[in-house]
Amino acid sequence: MTDIQTLHILNKSPDHPRAARCVEMMSAEDGLLLTGNGVLLLARGNLLPGASKVFALIPDVEARGLGDLSGNVSSVDFAEMVTLSLQAQRVISW
Amino acid sequence: MTTLIMIDQPPYGAWTGREALDMAFSLAAFDQSASLLFTGPGVNWLRQTQHAGGIEQKSVEKNLAAAPIFGMDAILADRAACIAYGLDEHSLIEGVTLVDADADLLTDYDHTAFAG
Amino acid sequence: MVSNAMPQRNNEGFLEDAQTWTEGVATAIAAEDDVDLTEKHWEIIKFLRSFYKEHEMSPPSNRLFVKAVKEALGEDKGNSIYLMQLFPGTPAKTACRIAGLPRPTNCL
Repeated sequence: MTDIQTLHILNKSPDHPRAARCVEMMSAEDGLLLTGNGVLLLARGNLLPGASKVFALIPDVEARGLGDLSGNVSSVDFAEMVTLSLQAQRVISW
Repeated sequence: MTTLIMIDQPPYGAWTGREALDMAFSLAAFDQSASLLFTGPGVNWLRQTQHAGGIEQKSVEKNLAAAPIFGMDAILADRAACIAYGLDEHSLIEGVTLVDADADLLTDYDHTAFAG
Repeated sequence: MVSNAMPQRNNEGFLEDAQTWTEGVATAIAAEDDVDLTEKHWEIIKFLRSFYKEHEMSPPSNRLFVKAVKEALGEDKGNSIYLMQLFPGTPAKTACRIAGLPRPTNCL
């Protein structure tokens, strides 16, 4: 899919301290995969890390009525999520 | 494959930390390289002289002391969090290595997972 | 006065309270598994009792039980064949039950 050194998987909502830590710790080469309540970050567009690749697990996005993804966010299904995790050199599960 | 398990929750209030300890011990049981990193209020796991009998729980301090016996790599603690919670070499349990829990540190591990 | 009554146990035969353990209790529990306690058994039982005192937990799984014995008593005793001969079934479970410790958390 893409060359990602470090993939951050975030399943905490934007107000959880770990969400802020995660975004703060990311560098431009890192990828961010939003799952569970983590997808709520899409509704707080200003908090999204600008430079990084962002992915969101589509069933979790649709469940929360956030179906219209903006340009720099890619949707992934479960199979693609697994591929993404396996391709990354490092995975950080927040 | 190296795994870092992060504990950022204080001891005793919830079970997530214990589950993390179980996960770390299980990795060690199968000879997988695993370390624990305590950050934020999680560093309170590492304070000496915990007596948890009064709240009918087992002392996590004593549980943690079994980590090297089971073959865990290291017990790490975030330096800044230790300072914030008044923990120094005199009040920390033995065998804890102080580190800066930043993005650099995490590049040493293939997989980092938070507890809970 | 010495009481011969068996202390309270759970449905799998583990003591509810590790403090109620005595050598007599160990002998009685071992007999249920057709185990005659020898010096070799007592060495492991004593090790488990001191491990529990120090760490307030049983070795959580069979593999970690073997590792802990190996660390304390060396490779001759810290291997699964030796421990399985002494404590049939799942050695960690059987040995912890006889030693009056709680059930290892990850032993199915």
